[in-house]
Amino acid sequence: MALAVDHFSRTYQAASGTFTAVDDLSFAVAGGEIVGLIGPNGAGKTTTLRSIAGILKPTSGVIGIDGHDIVADPIDAKRRLAFMPDEPHLFEYLTVAEHLRLVARLYAVDDFDRRAAALLDELELTGKERSLPGELSRGMRQKVVIACGLVRHATTLLFDEPLTGLDPIGIRRMRNTIAARAQQGAAILLSSHLLHLVQEVCSRVIIMDRGRKIADGTFDELASRADLAAAGSNLEQIFFRVTGHGA
Amino acid sequence: MIAASLYIVVCSARNHVRLRLRRLREPRYLVGAVAGAAYLYFSFFARLRTARAGQRRRGGAGVPIALASAMRSGAAGLVGLFLFAVTVVAWLLPFESGLLAFSDAEMQFLFPAPVSRRALLVHRMIRSQIGLLFGGAIIGLAMPTASGYARLRSAIAMWLLLSTGKVYFTGISLARAKLASSDAGARRAAWLPVGILAAASVVVGAALYRAFAGGAPESMRDLLERTTAAIGAGPAGVVLWPFTALARPIFAAGPREYLAALAGSALVLAATSAWVLQTDAALEDAAAAAAARRASAAPAQASAYRRSRAGLTLAISGRPETVFAWKAATQTLRGVDGRNIFRLAAIVVALAAAATSLGRAGGARVMAGAGAFALASAAFLILMAPQVLRVDMRDDLRHLEVLKTWPVRAAAIVRGQLLWPGAILTAGAWAALALAEILAGASLLARVGLAWRLSAGAAVAILAPALVFAQLTIHNAAALLFPAWVPLGNQRPRGLDAMGQRLILLGATWLVLIVSIIPGAIGGAIVWLALTPVAGPAAVVPAALACAAAVAAEVLVATEALGPAYERLDLTAVERAE
Repeated sequence: MALAVDHFSRTYQAASGTFTAVDDLSFAVAGGEIVGLIGPNGAGKTTTLRSIAGILKPTSGVIGIDGHDIVADPIDAKRRLAFMPDEPHLFEYLTVAEHLRLVARLYAVDDFDRRAAALLDELELTGKERSLPGELSRGMRQKVVIACGLVRHATTLLFDEPLTGLDPIGIRRMRNTIAARAQQGAAILLSSHLLHLVQEVCSRVIIMDRGRKIADGTFDELASRADLAAAGSNLEQIFFRVTGHGA
Repeated sequence: MIAASLYIVVCSARNHVRLRLRRLREPRYLVGAVAGAAYLYFSFFARLRTARAGQRRRGGAGVPIALASAMRSGAAGLVGLFLFAVTVVAWLLPFESGLLAFSDAEMQFLFPAPVSRRALLVHRMIRSQIGLLFGGAIIGLAMPTASGYARLRSAIAMWLLLSTGKVYFTGISLARAKLASSDAGARRAAWLPVGILAAASVVVGAALYRAFAGGAPESMRDLLERTTAAIGAGPAGVVLWPFTALARPIFAAGPREYLAALAGSALVLAATSAWVLQTDAALEDAAAAAAARRASAAPAQASAYRRSRAGLTLAISGRPETVFAWKAATQTLRGVDGRNIFRLAAIVVALAAAATSLGRAGGARVMAGAGAFALASAAFLILMAPQVLRVDMRDDLRHLEVLKTWPVRAAAIVRGQLLWPGAILTAGAWAALALAEILAGASLLARVGLAWRLSAGAAVAILAPALVFAQLTIHNAAALLFPAWVPLGNQRPRGLDAMGQRLILLGATWLVLIVSIIPGAIGGAIVWLALTPVAGPAAVVPAALACAAAVAAEVLVATEALGPAYERLDLTAVERAE
């Protein structure tokens, strides 16, 4: 499996005591698969993605990228990983081109110039190479983050709300980009509140609530389960039902 | 609006204290707090107690120290002259008081609220009071006096002085924005204070010229006496009155004189506040500009960097440490404002020209002064600048979410963060040392023999990188181990309210630095003792090499040891930082 999450838990120290953000979560994503991670606010989606990316340390459990433990073997694991967060974190003093070059250096991208040019074109960033982040709109900055994630040869791609700030054209292009990367064999884990996007793009869906996984399967599998959905339900209806908010 | 402002101030302060207290549950912050308390006790209160005991023995009256008493008559005038000079420089250099630095929350909640822009400024003035009070208290505690009453007096005087400065600098920011306005009325209003200050400069400059036209001062005492006499009376005295009034409470002798001086100082604050508040139109623009920046959703730091500055090209392969050096170099290159450097250079040249105009003796003094300045600069670059130049982990903590995803060894990240600031500070220190050596003939170093001078210069040059990198390692270690104590990015503590924390960090850094140098110093001393009979003064060079090698080894070991600390560093620990 490209991505394997095994009994992963993460707790935070809060003023009121220990808070469990993710509790005993296990799932796997194979190469070529696009898995949607959905859930209400506070479900633990971002914590899960950040932990997989190596930003947060798991309290317990194991997270493996192509067999490399993100805690025990972080460098090899991170080399195979690309994380595109919902909030574009960029170095405000580096231009778009310099960001891409920085990533290429860190991840030892061999055919950098060709890949960078193709990506800039694909993400409609051509002409913005010499722009600083402060000169870009939020949507453009989001595209730069995505370009930095895609410029390297990652086998596992993590998207946290990838469509935030994008215009309709950008949204359509991003959907195509994600699908194309999966077709090329990448394992993709995508977190989003846009349930129609998840239903359309993802081959499988994991629903989380209060830090726990409460459903996992393809859309057809979820829709066919009598305890999760009425006949003819779409993902939104399933989501409301399993999270206890009614349809 | 004032009630709302007070509510915000009280709630913020209360939550700030709660947050600090809550952190004490974690041992590392508890240790930090104990260390801070001990520092304050031993630095101020224990010294106060000792001094009081000494006074009791001597039968002293608890007045400020003798030097202050001796200079009291002219000190307020001299400080006033200094404040006047700072005011002139403030117009040339774009000092920002921070009073108009509205937070995101303030812009989101207060800008759309039905309150006037003037009320917003008053709100910012109220908000700044906690920092100013704290700053005044810290300076009061630091005063070289044995009396608690004198400290309180000084704290109040300093609070008035700092408040006036904060408001005045805001006024400068507002007026400067209008100097090139298309509206003739606004332009005239903005140029008026510039004109007044220019006229005042002429008056003060003429008085000083008359005082020194007869001949250069023979001693420091002569210099002070002539200056005091020149600015203490006549038109210069009138012109400098607001500045002297601000300084007078600090040096007032008795309670009656103090209260009278305090009234004068408060009057200056009131007049300054009135001047700034009447520039309501300019404030509208400044507030609107801030709102526009927010509406564009551009990062707050966007304006701090210039794309026009070409960056260095990063090689596509190489050691990971150099990536961080490149990144920091690009940040420095794009962050430096060339206009400020030009203005600063213009001031230095003007001062040098003024000194040279005093005659041939003045020229020699300029050389001597430049030599002393170079020496002081080298000392600053080696001992203090590592605290100031923060283009390392202290800045990059705000990008931790990105850094943590990079496939780079933690120790390499830590080492990489030190490279650029260490290199640039070392280069600066070497340049300053070289200048000091060149000008040594005219400066204080002229008394030192050539062999000693060259040997000591070489030894300091060898020790400089070791000391700089050692301090940077300590600062970065503090950032990794106590992230909540480190201001992130271009965050600056509001006003002066973090001064105490910085003092504690600085003291701790030096303490650790001293401890870390001891092994190298012992090794260097052994080398020096062994080689002095053979090499004479030149023995300090191999001694410095031995010491620097030992410190360099310690730095390498420390960066490796800090790797696990970086791995353990939790994002939430940084996010909770202020």
